[in-house]
Amino acid sequence: MMKALGSSRLNRRRFLTASASLGIGTIAAPYVARADDPTLRITGWGGKWGEVMKAEIGPAFESEFKCKLQTDSAFPYLPKLQASSRSAPIYDVLHTNSNEQWAAAEMGLVEPKIDPKLVPNLADVYPYAISDKIVGVSIFTSAIGLGMRTDKGYSGVTSWKELWDAKYNGVRGGYVIPVNSLGQAFLMMCGTLFGKGQLDLDAAYAALEKLKPIKIVDFTGAMEKMLLSGEVGLCVIHDSGIYRYDGQNQPTDFVSPSEGVLSLEQVLTITPGSKMKELANAYVNYMLRPEVQKRLAETVWYSPANRKVKLDPKYDAKLLTTPEKVSKLIQVDWKWYNERKDEIDQRVNRIFRA
Amino acid sequence: MSTSTSHSPSLAPDRAAAPVRTAVPRHYGRYIYLAINTAILVFLLAPIAVVVVFALNPTPFIQFPPVGVSLRWFEKFFASRDFMQALGFSLEVAVLTTVSATVLGASAALALARGNLPGTRLIVATMLSPLMLPAILTGLALFQTYVLLDVGRPTWGLVAGHTLVTLPYVVRTTLAVLHNFDTRLEEAAQNLGASPLRTFFEVTLPLIKPGVLAGAIFAFIVSFDQFPVSLFLVSPGNETLPVTLFNYLKFDLDGTIGAASVVSIVLAFVVVIGLDRTVGLRSYVKL
Repeated sequence: MMKALGSSRLNRRRFLTASASLGIGTIAAPYVARADDPTLRITGWGGKWGEVMKAEIGPAFESEFKCKLQTDSAFPYLPKLQASSRSAPIYDVLHTNSNEQWAAAEMGLVEPKIDPKLVPNLADVYPYAISDKIVGVSIFTSAIGLGMRTDKGYSGVTSWKELWDAKYNGVRGGYVIPVNSLGQAFLMMCGTLFGKGQLDLDAAYAALEKLKPIKIVDFTGAMEKMLLSGEVGLCVIHDSGIYRYDGQNQPTDFVSPSEGVLSLEQVLTITPGSKMKELANAYVNYMLRPEVQKRLAETVWYSPANRKVKLDPKYDAKLLTTPEKVSKLIQVDWKWYNERKDEIDQRVNRIFRA
Repeated sequence: MSTSTSHSPSLAPDRAAAPVRTAVPRHYGRYIYLAINTAILVFLLAPIAVVVVFALNPTPFIQFPPVGVSLRWFEKFFASRDFMQALGFSLEVAVLTTVSATVLGASAALALARGNLPGTRLIVATMLSPLMLPAILTGLALFQTYVLLDVGRPTWGLVAGHTLVTLPYVVRTTLAVLHNFDTRLEEAAQNLGASPLRTFFEVTLPLIKPGVLAGAIFAFIVSFDQFPVSLFLVSPGNETLPVTLFNYLKFDLDGTIGAASVVSIVLAFVVVIGLDRTVGLRSYVKL
């Protein structure tokens, strides 16, 4: 009996040892395998962007620059960057929207500007991409305007102000401003439309009060679905959120209001503590290459920042690909906005809670 | 007597009526009881029903009533390399978490119940504290700790985070069975010559198995569905299913989310049924 017990103990120990070794091996294998490759750690979107980056753009970069691209597509990026060491940041290149980039720059988490000597393709970008409203460089932009149903008799929409028309009560769509870049940009537009300019918050608040009733959502993707389902008939949305359904016979269209479209930039910055500066600059330059810009623009319907990009006619007709079209872009002063964000959040929460 | 005799016929209908008066409230009471239980069931199951409808509806948005039945979102889910990787990784993490939380939690519960440790109540409260702290803060704190230790975001770190939030379940359920444990059974085994180890495996463990098993099931399900802790601890290329779903719905809010949710629900059922078949969960239903 004791012999049997002793034998059982040995077997259990062997089993546990083998299991532990297997577990540790499974966990450690990827790190051991990648240990020798220089790794560039970046952030990036999911969805179609993530698919084409993972399948084509990323591997091509890895092959050309003999490195590994490690893309974090799990939000939130900024708190993770904040929590990591300044001298050894969790990312080398931060890709996110302009408002977050400004917040990161204010905290010293990213370098405010990209050096044109290290990124030659900066010479070919439209002025908006490196304007004083941009930290780093905007590699793409979307146009924020109005999305409308084409099967509800709403034709003839040409102005932002038509969103306030009483006929859209019950089918008007907007965003939870504290958490959505489009909502924040739209708030600034309200100041321009009904006040002295973007910075006229009192006029913007008054305009938002008059916008009720309005259906508000957190994510742009949710707004797309509400528009597709007919739950909203006219809403604030970016052009790519409409154009991505091109060819699917959806009764929706994008309206570029006569007052101009707001810019929703995709911005790249480099972290000051990155140990891969050379590779980071190479990546920014690579993302601005005409062929890379074309591939991504035609995948996700973003307007390329590089002036030399020639898109296929279908995309060229709708995206901002000429100086004339680009001149319609209105950039938001995110630095100014972020300094007042808490106050703005409280005020708009009161407006929409009521 | 005559009076009582004369009254007796009149009492008869009263006696007969008495059960009728009590039967009516009982009758209504049963309906009310059923109605309340039905309402609770509907409340619990309605979200699942909505998810199933969303997953089977062919339109790329939530539509009610549904316009048809389609498996296109399931096809998309199973064809997606990202979702499949995330599903596999979630299962791997949940299994590792279940093992670590069960071993650590059951051992801790035994020590707390038997060890005559000083400050037992304080230790129990400390072990249950991860349930009181917002999980997102636990995730952020662990992330910062890993950054300070310069270990990156390893899989073992994620498992450790999940173990931290699932440990209280195992400790609590094991302590519950240990509360009524008859220690004389262990004494009897040792009096008959069994070693402490043999006593543990042949007497103690079978008796506390209901609590340990219940804790293990909780640990698996909580880990598999864990989002706030994972949000900060997942590393690129190693994302759990809930994190992948969250990132996906920011860009594509279609029925794939519903299909993934249905798969998660089915997996939870499979785990419970699997445990029932292998270790006889029904015998512990009193838990």
